[in-house]
Amino acid sequence: MTDTPNTTLEWIGFIAEKYSDLFIRGTWLTLLISVSGTLIGFVLGYIIGIIEDTKINKEDNIIKKAILGLLKVISKIYVEVFRDTPMIVQAMVIYFGIKLAGFAIEPIPAAILVTLLNTGAYMSETVRAGIKSIDIGQREGALALGMSPISTMFNIILPQAFKNIVPEMANTFLTNLKMTSVLNVIGVQELFLMAKTAGGTYYKYFESYLVIAIIYFVLCFVFNRIFLFAEKKMSQQKNYGLAVEYMENTQ
Amino acid sequence: MTKQSENEIIRVEELSKSFGEHQVLRKIDFTVNKGDVICILGSSGSGKSTLLRCINQLETQTYGKIFFHGKELGKKQKETNEYRSKVGMVFQSFNLFNNKTVLKNCMEGTRKVLHLSKDEAHKRAISHLKSVGMAPFINAYPSQLSGGQKQRVAIARGLCMNPEVLLFDEPTSALDPEMVGDVLNVMKKLAGENLTMIIVTHEMDFARDVSNRVLFMDKGYIVEDAPPSEFFTNPQHPRAKEFLSRFFSN
Ligand SMILES: Nc1ncnc2c1ncn2[C@@H]1O[C@H](COP(=O)(O)OP(=O)(O)OP(=O)(O)O)[C@@H](O)[C@H]1O
Ligand SMILES: [Mg+2]
Repeated sequence: MTDTPNTTLEWIGFIAEKYSDLFIRGTWLTLLISVSGTLIGFVLGYIIGIIEDTKINKEDNIIKKAILGLLKVISKIYVEVFRDTPMIVQAMVIYFGIKLAGFAIEPIPAAILVTLLNTGAYMSETVRAGIKSIDIGQREGALALGMSPISTMFNIILPQAFKNIVPEMANTFLTNLKMTSVLNVIGVQELFLMAKTAGGTYYKYFESYLVIAIIYFVLCFVFNRIFLFAEKKMSQQKNYGLAVEYMENTQ
Repeated sequence: MTKQSENEIIRVEELSKSFGEHQVLRKIDFTVNKGDVICILGSSGSGKSTLLRCINQLETQTYGKIFFHGKELGKKQKETNEYRSKVGMVFQSFNLFNNKTVLKNCMEGTRKVLHLSKDEAHKRAISHLKSVGMAPFINAYPSQLSGGQKQRVAIARGLCMNPEVLLFDEPTSALDPEMVGDVLNVMKKLAGENLTMIIVTHEMDFARDVSNRVLFMDKGYIVEDAPPSEFFTNPQHPRAKEFLSRFFSN
């Protein structure tokens, strides 16, 4: 080895270049897990949030009441368990639990599963708060037209709740992006594990982890800007033009 | 059970409502006939809103029955939805859909509940928005309108369903004084078109000039049920007398 780096700075460059394949693959995997886990987790969070917000109606038939009651209990337990345990432990328990139960599971699907379950638990609370933030009057306005409670939820309440919780959703995604680093414990080759591998050969851990620190930072920074921009776009209300064709009848 | 007249739309029998220990409505009996414009008067807390909300089934009564064309209201959600599509409600706080334009507010019910075609729903929305003078604002969002404008849109939204009865809960109480007239004029026009209405209001002049019946409520009871000519000139119940003297003294 003729061109062994001397300074720390040179080492950083060296590691980054030599293991660029690893870092790139790690980045993709980190993105894959956090994006898919977050998106599916959002859907789960919405479902749980809606279940928790749905009231059991005295007039409903027994079966409907029983199913809804059961769903409510399950979702309560699920949310509580996932909020009260660390993600790194959840990863171990789920991964090895599934294996123990006799099912083959690869680290990547397991990682996505852990991320989505974690996201769902947190999002359900956010969704519920979002639903609560829409004044009851709009719900009553819809019901008074004869709209069903479900149609009211999907056409009136959720679109507005969604808008209110977009910042929280963005936040959750960024948290997930960073939290995937703990998933190295189940052997997913995301960024963190790649840095560990790259650093190990030359015992240059600082340099190697600094490389992924920069990658995490850039990813989060860029996504953050995109979300801020999207939020701004969403909250802009266009000025309306008067519909001049109907002007003559104005009072 | 009384014999049902041909014109009867809604009949309320011994309707009572309690929130916990607090009894808000006590054995309410009255009938709404086609073309009636009924004004409900009474001091704050007497149960006027609760009565309207029970009629619209936004609250379930603790006791008593409500009949629609002689048939007791069903308890199934589907039946409630269908009934509500025929008995509209206009609220003090407008309750427009903030995520939708004026036009979409007025098309939501006709599209999602009555399943009209887009063209048909659009046509209806425009025609009712025209009648309340809000057609030029079809592209505005509720937050871009004044209170009086919002309430006129809310009335148009209700009218789009072609309801048999429209309930109003203090439709002008949240408005600046200069807006009140616009909304009352719209309601006057509707009365002239023979729309059946039940109106909770504190607008005494309106009640006297436009209604054909006044119900006066006190502590959950209807203590007076009379044509406005009688109610305003010769109230029977002491609470009604007191209420009127308070209003007309200032
Ligand atoms: N959801 C509720 N839970 C408990 N109490 C309620 C509820 N809704 C109304 N009440 C009580 O019922 C009584 C009657 O209320 P209601 O709103 O019907 O009166 P109102 O005649 O419409 O008064 P106002 O003129 O102030 O609007 C009040 O004492 C009120 O506090
Ligand atoms: Mg009231």
